[in-house]
Amino acid sequence: MRSLRLRRDLGLQVLALYLIFVGLVVASTLVFENFASRRLQADVQAADLALARAIAQETSTFTNNALQAVSRLADYPAVVAADNGGMTEIFRTVLDVRSEVNLVYRLNEQGVMLFHYPIEPGSTVGTDFSFRDYFQRALLANGPILSKGRISPTTNKPVATAVMPLWAENGRFLGVVGTNLKLESLSQTLGSIVGEYPSQEQMDILIVDDAGQIVAHTDSSLMLSDATETMPQVITAVLANATGSQIAPDLTGEEMLYSYVPIPSAGWGVVVSRPTAVAFASPSIFRRGALLAIVVFLIGGVIFWLIFSERVLRPIERLAYFSQSVGLEEAFSEDHRQKLATLTSRPDQMGLLMRSMTDMQQAIEARLNELSTLLETGRAVVSSLDSVVVLDTILAQVERLLDVNMSAIFAYDEARNIFRVRASRNLPDWYIQQAVINPSDPSSITMRTIRSGQPIQIDDTETNPSFKAHRDRARAAGYRSVMAVPLLTQHAPPTALLVFRPDPHEFTQREGNLLSSFATQAAMAIENAALFARSDMRLQEQTRRLEALVQSMQDGLILENLEGRVIYANRRIAELSGLPPEQIQQSPVDDVMAHLLRRAPDKENAVTAVATALHPHGEHKANLALVYPDQTIYLRLKVFEVTDSQGLPLGRGRILQDITQRQELDRMKSSLIATVSHELRTPLAAIKGYATTLLAEDVEWDMASQREFLEIISQESDHLNNLVNDLLDMSRLEAGNLTVRRIACDLGELIGQAALRAHPQPGERLLVNLPPDLPPIYADPRRIESVLRNLIENAAKYGGEGRIWITAVSQPTHLTIYVQDEGPGIDAQHAERIFTSFYRLENGLTRNASGAGLGLSIARGFVRLHGGEIWVEPKPSGACLAFSLPLQASGPQWASFAASED
Amino acid sequence: MSPNKLTVLVVDDEKSLRDFVKRNLEVRGYQALTAANGLEALALFESNAVNLVILDLMMPYMNGLETIRRLRQTSQTPIIVLSALGEEEDKIQALNRGADDYLTKPFGVGELLARVQAVLRRAQVAKRPSTDALLVRGPLTADLDRHEIKLNQKPLDLTPTEFSLLVYFMENEGKVLPHQTILRHVWGPEYGQETEYLRVYIGRLRQKIEPDSARPRYLRTERGIGYSFITY
Repeated sequence: MRSLRLRRDLGLQVLALYLIFVGLVVASTLVFENFASRRLQADVQAADLALARAIAQETSTFTNNALQAVSRLADYPAVVAADNGGMTEIFRTVLDVRSEVNLVYRLNEQGVMLFHYPIEPGSTVGTDFSFRDYFQRALLANGPILSKGRISPTTNKPVATAVMPLWAENGRFLGVVGTNLKLESLSQTLGSIVGEYPSQEQMDILIVDDAGQIVAHTDSSLMLSDATETMPQVITAVLANATGSQIAPDLTGEEMLYSYVPIPSAGWGVVVSRPTAVAFASPSIFRRGALLAIVVFLIGGVIFWLIFSERVLRPIERLAYFSQSVGLEEAFSEDHRQKLATLTSRPDQMGLLMRSMTDMQQAIEARLNELSTLLETGRAVVSSLDSVVVLDTILAQVERLLDVNMSAIFAYDEARNIFRVRASRNLPDWYIQQAVINPSDPSSITMRTIRSGQPIQIDDTETNPSFKAHRDRARAAGYRSVMAVPLLTQHAPPTALLVFRPDPHEFTQREGNLLSSFATQAAMAIENAALFARSDMRLQEQTRRLEALVQSMQDGLILENLEGRVIYANRRIAELSGLPPEQIQQSPVDDVMAHLLRRAPDKENAVTAVATALHPHGEHKANLALVYPDQTIYLRLKVFEVTDSQGLPLGRGRILQDITQRQELDRMKSSLIATVSHELRTPLAAIKGYATTLLAEDVEWDMASQREFLEIISQESDHLNNLVNDLLDMSRLEAGNLTVRRIACDLGELIGQAALRAHPQPGERLLVNLPPDLPPIYADPRRIESVLRNLIENAAKYGGEGRIWITAVSQPTHLTIYVQDEGPGIDAQHAERIFTSFYRLENGLTRNASGAGLGLSIARGFVRLHGGEIWVEPKPSGACLAFSLPLQASGPQWASFAASED
Repeated sequence: MSPNKLTVLVVDDEKSLRDFVKRNLEVRGYQALTAANGLEALALFESNAVNLVILDLMMPYMNGLETIRRLRQTSQTPIIVLSALGEEEDKIQALNRGADDYLTKPFGVGELLARVQAVLRRAQVAKRPSTDALLVRGPLTADLDRHEIKLNQKPLDLTPTEFSLLVYFMENEGKVLPHQTILRHVWGPEYGQETEYLRVYIGRLRQKIEPDSARPRYLRTERGIGYSFITY
């Protein structure tokens, strides 16, 4: 985490680097300082030692001189002899020559003062000095010896005595001669040496004798004091003939540097002492310097870091924030804005960076603006199919983005073979009126851009030679520069987008590209509109077709809205309700239904049935029968909900399906069953009836009756057989697999057989009238006989008790046979329908068919198989059915037909 | 025309069938009249004292159903329908119009004669010997002697079969009467399977005696078994 933060924060990194640098500097300084101070200390010690050595050398010389001088005194006989006069002379000379000597004296063999020079008032002659150490030592010595320091009782001065024992020739001890050396002179020497050093050095130099007494000191007050008390170790060392340095506290506790050198010739030692604070003053100054340098480094570092942070890091952070905000529509705070402005105004690289970023940001924002405008335009294009609105939107955006004051879209007008303004902004009306461009106009910028497919611009209409022809118009309209781009359309006529500026202006590549983008959008809008117009046309056509279909439907259709008003009703509804179509529209659907239900025979039930069908949880179905003057129409009402795509109700639809025909068919089917059942059971009933009659045991029938009954059974069986054959023929006819076998046959014979087999028998009522020259007909005799039988039965059944005529008329190509009765006749409206299967006339009182309703249908099937036709011949009274049969001569096709049949 | 002979009017458009019925009736002592269609039948009915009508349904010139309707406007003479249509709906339709019995073609002589006798017997119920008995059940009072039933003192217009049926119910008040039992008792021993007859007649009786025929109070349906008659 911390390392991450360090990695992210340049300021911290710089700080860390700086700290490492400072640390190294401090460490090396400390090492160096340590090393240097040691060197300095060693130097100081060496210097002190050298000084001590020099003093030791000098002192040694001093003492050696004194010892040599005193030893030479022993050579003097006057001295040996203790001759005062001679000694005075000699001693005076010595004193004169040697300034360091303040007394020369002579002791006898007992140590009593014999003589001394100078002779002072406080003379010690006669005083016994045998207790003196030097005297004791002299008794045992051959050469000169040096005494320890002491106060001379004679001179009252601190002195050290150089003594030479005097030995007689015979080896008798004669006493000693001695010179007192002024210790002051040594001290003076030391003082002069110290005086060469700066006073603050506080240097002390002292010389100790072999007893540890100070015999010379820079401070004369300490003369002859015991040095072993103040610096015991140093004195011990130096008196042990050691050379060296020691650091030890003095009596006041101050730390001192002692350097010491022995003087072997005298058994003395030299000690140079200084307080370490003074001695090592140079290293500590150096250390302070190093410390100061570190502090300076630190302060400098902080100042550098602050400046670095303020001048570099912060601006970089601001730049980063600024660059992040590019493209986002975030407002900067006033403070931030000001800081950015300050940053921008900086003359250094940071300012340069900021300025270039500002430029970049402006460029990006401009581009974003363009893009968002284009996007908006694109949205406008897809949001509306109204090309006028869309094109106006596009032009408005063009003006906003391109800084032009006028714009127009020129499109080709196919009808007039010209280009003219399709959409425009800010163009004067007269311009729009006059701006009619001939497609062959070479100078027209519109035509040029469309032809070339490239943007064309006139940067100054006044100077561009190619624009000369239109210059006046440009002046009047108030533009100086113009740019045109083509619209690339596939499904719409050629079009161009033009923009105008009031000043001379060279359109940049960017502006050109932008305009092209708009041109693409405009092209899309125009294409959309064109395609929509086409699809709209198609839709309208489809609607018309659908309308025609719905209108021509045999079923009625009503659409109602939620308020229950008719919003659509087809023609059939108008027909069924008897209301004019325009009155049905918008009128309450209940009114229309009421009009329809007026015709229901059981109005109350019908209304209930409709209400049930309309009930939300009802069956949505109801069957209605409406009675019209000419017919009864059966309708099935189907109710359906009309919903929108979300399933919300929009209204309701009602279909009035015309099921009259189906009803008829159903009725006919059930009628067929009833009829066939009746027709088959009727002969069966007779057969069974007569059979059981014969079998009945309670009655004995005579032979004639029995025979009659059996004949009836036989006849009825034949009748039953005919019926079964008819039914089979019928089904074969309907299946289309009936074959006819044509042979030449006589019509009269066929009529005779048919009459015999007819049921009921026409008997005497049948009158046949055939022309004598009737040619033979080529036909399937069984089928034609069946046709005739059916017609005769029909006449016998429906013709009442009247007569039945059969006539035939021969024509060149065909033969027509008529069967007429005296019955009530056939209504013209039934004339065609009686030939359909199971159709029976129902006419109130007049009839209820007992025929199967198959006869005429079968007859027609057979006649048609022969290439003929059957129909109802209109007659003023009675019914007349006629059929035609082609004659053999009628054509080869039926011969071949016949041949193929065989 | 012998006065003690019963006269039967046979109506059928098929001559063979008509003749077969006529001859069988005549040979057994009935007097038979024949007609080929409804119009003829009505004319004959007007001009003769007819005890029974045997009628085909599918005929030209006034079909059987219309003929029944016309006959029933003036008379309660028993009618037996002959028809090739054997469906229950056809039977009910005919019975509803007022037919007393229904024979599906083809039929045997025995069957025909049995029905003729049964129908005539039911028609004779009213002519039972006098019993002086007045049968009183709730608001209904049956005078068997006078062949009359009154509802709240008002005479009901009933066909002989309706009369017989209602009397049978009144005599057996409170009992659950199975279909077959009712048919055997009222129509005759030849009957037993003709439950549709009962439905028609019960329906007709309810129309005549119930305050609300849709929610019968007296004549109750015992589902799957038969009917019961309760006035208390």
